[in-house]
Amino acid sequence: MGATKLLDRGRGSRSLPLLLAWLVGILLVLDIGARLAGVEIPLAAGRTFGGSMSVAQFGGLVWNGVIVGLIFGLAGIGLSMTYSILNFANFSHGDLITTGAFTGWGAALLVSGWGLAEAGTLLLVRAASGPSPNEIGASIIQAPLAIAIGVVVAAVATVLVTVAIDRVVYRPMRDRGGIALLIASIGVALGLRYVVQFVFGSRSRGVTATDGVRTTIAGVSVNLHELTLFVVALVLMGGMHLLLQRTKLGTAMRAMADNKDLALVTGIPTERVVTATWILGGALAGVAGYLYVLERGTIEFNIGWFLLLFIFAAVILGGIGSIYGAIAGGLVIGLVHEVSLVWISGDFNAAAAFLIMVIVLLYRPEGLFSGVTTA
Amino acid sequence: MSDPEPVDRTRDAGADETRTDADVGAPDDAILRVRDLDAGYGELQILSGIDLDVGDGEYVTIVGPNGAGKSTVMKTVFGLTTYLGGTISFESEPIHELPPERIIHKGISYVPQSNNVFDGLTVRENLEMGAYILDTVPESRIEAVYDRFPVLRDRRDQKAGTMSGGQRQMVAMGRALMLDPDLLLLDEPSAGLAPDLVDDMFDRIDEINENGTAVLMVEQNATEALRRCDRGYVLTQGQNAYTDAGTRLLADEEVRQQFLGG
Repeated sequence: MGATKLLDRGRGSRSLPLLLAWLVGILLVLDIGARLAGVEIPLAAGRTFGGSMSVAQFGGLVWNGVIVGLIFGLAGIGLSMTYSILNFANFSHGDLITTGAFTGWGAALLVSGWGLAEAGTLLLVRAASGPSPNEIGASIIQAPLAIAIGVVVAAVATVLVTVAIDRVVYRPMRDRGGIALLIASIGVALGLRYVVQFVFGSRSRGVTATDGVRTTIAGVSVNLHELTLFVVALVLMGGMHLLLQRTKLGTAMRAMADNKDLALVTGIPTERVVTATWILGGALAGVAGYLYVLERGTIEFNIGWFLLLFIFAAVILGGIGSIYGAIAGGLVIGLVHEVSLVWISGDFNAAAAFLIMVIVLLYRPEGLFSGVTTA
Repeated sequence: MSDPEPVDRTRDAGADETRTDADVGAPDDAILRVRDLDAGYGELQILSGIDLDVGDGEYVTIVGPNGAGKSTVMKTVFGLTTYLGGTISFESEPIHELPPERIIHKGISYVPQSNNVFDGLTVRENLEMGAYILDTVPESRIEAVYDRFPVLRDRRDQKAGTMSGGQRQMVAMGRALMLDPDLLLLDEPSAGLAPDLVDDMFDRIDEINENGTAVLMVEQNATEALRRCDRGYVLTQGQNAYTDAGTRLLADEEVRQQFLGG
């Protein structure tokens, strides 16, 4: 009886804030409805409920949310997989994203700008001054092949770096437990970031050409780079889904995420599955970094590190260990990040994204896709 | 697979000169031969000087008090503990220094006591994982497992984690049978099962054994296990105490008092 009472009290103290959160959520949705309908009800101190916002404006925010959400989700898949199969939170994942961005864009610029500047300058992603991004013409319109090659190089180069790091650092520590690996991964993150900075320089610079990238398809204005990101991300996510659900390797990865000891006695070659996990996670991280730069147009040595916190938020929100959770969490974080701009300034929207994560975790600690291990 | 005919396990009684007529010694055709085995976990030694044999198609049970090292024997055969000395040979090849994935290739499968299914995988996927070391999943083996455990066929697309204890145990055994092993290691197969399912589980183990698969089993339900097996080992404090036909161990007053609760 006492235990039941205690439980009830525990629930009671939590249900009020939950109610409040729902209320605020419903109000915000109503507010968006009012704004879209052009209804404006004055409140105190010059504030209004509702207002005016065009459908296109709102649609733009949602679209932006989907785009960043897909980046978070795509990069989050690898983070979630290494968490569930290797049992540690990999803080060097962000810098793998950066690695993919630089190597991929080095290749893309080399192909699209061949002959316009020294190969070294292009390969180092315009480390030195030289032709402008629009002169190099690295865009999906002017050099689709270069952009495609960049995707492949980003994936391959990041995989090589990821597997090398595993062999040198993580593999010898395999049985050391999550905390030791986590701390090692912070060291790897710093090391990798400074290598990238040393090789490619610390200057933030533009890389993509913008001529003709924004166009109109069927009356809707679209940014073709965002559309490319959207399509490539969806294809890769679909591919991961098929790989995990339909192939022997994917089933073995899910089996290992489920129960490592049993995987071992079943005869699953666990080290090979671990390597496959790094390869897939690294490839997705590299491509995510490359696509992120395609969308934002500029590159910098710490982009991945800044993304990492959002990716962790997405993965935790979705339920760590589940790739679908990573994707769903990424979209939620991305949408909140962008749509919150309706009410708050761009300086604070990151806080809104993390607030949502905290609220979800308070009431659903296991994340949105709980109990679905890498499935 | 060898000789599918039922063999009288007691035929070798007295073959070994050093044993008394009452002993049922290890058969000469042992596929698993453990000699003077020392093993443990890291620095901690659990087993010392273990001798144990399992004949081709034989059904052997290890009984003994809690903490005697029964499960450790099984884990050591499967390469899951720290090997400290002695020999384990399977079909005349030494296996005591092989990792589990190599031992599976030799024809031994192991069903752990708990957490022995992949909860997030479907029944069929669990079975497919059992045949991971093969290039393609043999459909005939899956069918054979379904024939042995028909409920698994009906539930092949269900996640194993959502099934009852008895059904999970069937999934675990089915997974271990996917490679048609010569020797099946079963660690407490009746643990956690409802009493009315225990008999059914023992019947199925009998069937598997009658099909020619040798079984080495650790069981808490010692009386039932000894009644059904060909031969039993009594283990105390990491050492062999006796081996004899299961029914004879059951009848032995000392064994009954010490290990079977009177």
